[in-house]
Order: sequence, then structure tokens, then C-alpha cells
Amino acid sequence: MTNLEQGNGTSRDDLLQRLALMETMIAEGRRNTGRFGWVFILWGLVCLSGIGGSYLWPQSYWVWPILIGSGFLIQFLGIAMHRRSGSWPSDSIKSRSVAAVWRMMGIAIILYAAPATVTHTIHQIAYIAAIFMFLGMAHATSAMILRWRAQGVVAGLWWAGGVATYFVPRDYVIAIYVAEMICCMVLFGVYAMMLERRRAAGALQDQVEHHA
Amino acid sequence: MANPEPDSDSKAGTSRDDLVQRLELMEQLIAEGRQTTMRCGWIFVLWGLVDLAGMGWQTELPHSQWVWPTCLGTGVILQVIGLALWKRSRPRCKGVQSRSVQAVWSMMGLAMVIYVFTALFTHFAWQYSYLSALLIIVGLAHAISAMILRWPVQGVVAAIWWAGAVAILVCNSFRAANLIFLIEMCFGMIAFGLYVMWLEGRNHDGLKGARA
Repeated sequence: MTNLEQGNGTSRDDLLQRLALMETMIAEGRRNTGRFGWVFILWGLVCLSGIGGSYLWPQSYWVWPILIGSGFLIQFLGIAMHRRSGSWPSDSIKSRSVAAVWRMMGIAIILYAAPATVTHTIHQIAYIAAIFMFLGMAHATSAMILRWRAQGVVAGLWWAGGVATYFVPRDYVIAIYVAEMICCMVLFGVYAMMLERRRAAGALQDQVEHHA
Repeated sequence: MANPEPDSDSKAGTSRDDLVQRLELMEQLIAEGRQTTMRCGWIFVLWGLVDLAGMGWQTELPHSQWVWPTCLGTGVILQVIGLALWKRSRPRCKGVQSRSVQAVWSMMGLAMVIYVFTALFTHFAWQYSYLSALLIIVGLAHAISAMILRWPVQGVVAAIWWAGAVAILVCNSFRAANLIFLIEMCFGMIAFGLYVMWLEGRNHDGLKGARA
């Protein structure tokens, strides 16, 4: 380690400090994903309701626009409440990077889905596969930034779904869609929220023990 | 390094020096991240040329199924060789921002490979939603990278890719799709690649001049 000090001017303490900072940022990033677990659940439920609505009213063009609009409204309200309650996530570099990934993914999906809906291209297999690919890419990037294996597995599931849609008969595509929404949206959201709750409970217990 | 612990001296919990230090660190990381993108300018140029070659070849042999697998395979091999040579000659950047940007591009590449090869294999690559999704994925990577690195030029490039994707869906014609692809490859890939290579060259010369 003395070599390090002489070689490139980086001391062992400095390296340890950097490592600690990196670990703190990664933990913060994961915590923020956990705090936003409800967004995954919300969109999972919106998409599942859309499938149900389309099944009940197959001729209606308004099912998806209404549900997606409601999804946005609920998300904005939820975020506003988050900000008011003071539990808005911290602005570490990793958190900003992950936030950038999800914001841009949201914009990309809107830009892709809106014209596809208007031009009636959403029945194409490549459209559904593409949506799975976008979501998988966002999860994979976030997983790589936060070094989070569970999220990496979710990315793998999205991509596997995207590949599967090309191979299975058309009738099964809807089954893949429902399975993806349940496993990768709702269950992942519940899992992320559970982790965050457990961490918060642990931190509270530590505080109580410290005061005692 | 920035101190993650709050400073007891100041009311807000963080001293001015600490804030300045953190800001400097952030700026340094952002500059490092942009530098990494600049060093990879040749990859944009490479893929722009590969895609243009593929389009030209496809025009000559419209029924050949081997045009795109051959072109894309050659592109991947050239990139792997280029990266191996590049890693030997230059030290790796390990900044947080650089890692995040690397994560974005590597996951974009992986998503693209999975999506493109599955579509080619199952003969769905003719769908407009497929062509549009390709542009959305590249635009998504540019947009995330632009937001992480706070780089307006890259943000403009992302917008150009997304505009192309929307235009393909709206125009609904193969002639228009080909033209849009051609424009995107020339501006979004080759011109952007040359621009970042020029920036990198200028920085390199600046550094040399400073050392002399």
C-alpha cells in the first residue's frame, strides 16, 4: 500500500474513503428504487387493467388512453405527496443516473406508444417485443449501475419475454404480457418496497438502541 | 473527496467548503464521463458506416437474407477488435459517471443484439414498429447519457433519433422509412461520431500544448 502512496498519490485511507463513498451511493440508489417500488406496482396494475378492459370492451378505443392517463395522474399525485412528506430521495450521483434512466425510458415509451396507437401499429409483434426490450434495457442499466442482481434477473425476464413473443403463437403473446406485468412489475415493486421497509425498520431499531 | 457526513459547523449541516468540494467532484466526474464518450466516437462512425453498407447492399440484393447478419456480425467483430486495441493503448476511466454511461451503452448494445437477431431470425424485421423501435432504443441511450453528462448536444442527437422513430410510424411507407434511416445514420451516427472525435482531438491537443 505504501507503493500506492508513492506511485500515484493515492493513499490507502483515500482508497477506503472512495470505496465507502461508492458503497454509500450504491446503497442510496437501491434505497431510492425501493422508495419508488409503488410506481412499478401502479404501472403493473394499470397495464393489467388495460388488458382486462380490452377483453371486456374489445371495440373501445378509449380503454388504454383513459387507463394510461389515470396512471399518470396517480403517479403525479403520489410524487407530489412524496415531496411533501419530505421522503424525497437524495441526489447522489448514482441516484441521478438511475433517475435519468427511468425518466428517459418513460419518455421513450410515450413517444413510441402514442404514434403506434394512432397509426394502429400496436397489433404488430415487433411492437410488443420492443416495449419489453425498453423495459428490460432500463432494468438492466439500473442493475448494472447499482450492482443489483435481483434487478438484473428482472431485466433478463423482460428480454426473455421480448424474445418469446416472436416465437409463440399470437394467442400466447397476451399470456406472456400478463405474466411479465405480474412478475416484473407488481412483484418486483412489492419486493423493492419490502426491502426498503425492512431497511427503514432496521435503521429505526438502531436509533432506538443507540438512544437507550 | 466529498465527505458524506454532515458538518457540525454549519447550520445546514454542510459547510461551504464541503459544498464547493462536492461540486468540483461532480464537475470532474461529468467531464470524465464526456471524455469517455468522446474517446468512443469511432464506434458511432463504425456503426453508421456498417448500417449504410447494409442498406446499400440490401438495395442491390433485396431478397438476400444474409445481408444484415453479415454486416452486423462484421460490425461486432470490428468493434471488439477496436475496443481491445483501445484498451491496450489507453487507461480505463473509472469515474462513477463514466461507469453509468458505459452501463447505458453496453445494455443498449445487448438489448439491440437480442432484439435485432430475434426479429431477423423470425422474419419480423419488415414491420414498421420494428424499424421505429431501433431508433427509439438508440435515442434512449443518447438521452440517458445526455442527462447523466448534462450534455445538450447529445440531447439534440437523442431528439433526432426519436423524431425519426415517430416519423417512421406516422409515414407508414418503406420509402420514407429508408430515407429516415439514411438521414439518421448520416447525422445521428456518423456526424455525431466525427463531432465527438473532433472534440477529443481538440482536448488532446490542448493537453499536449499545456504540457509543452
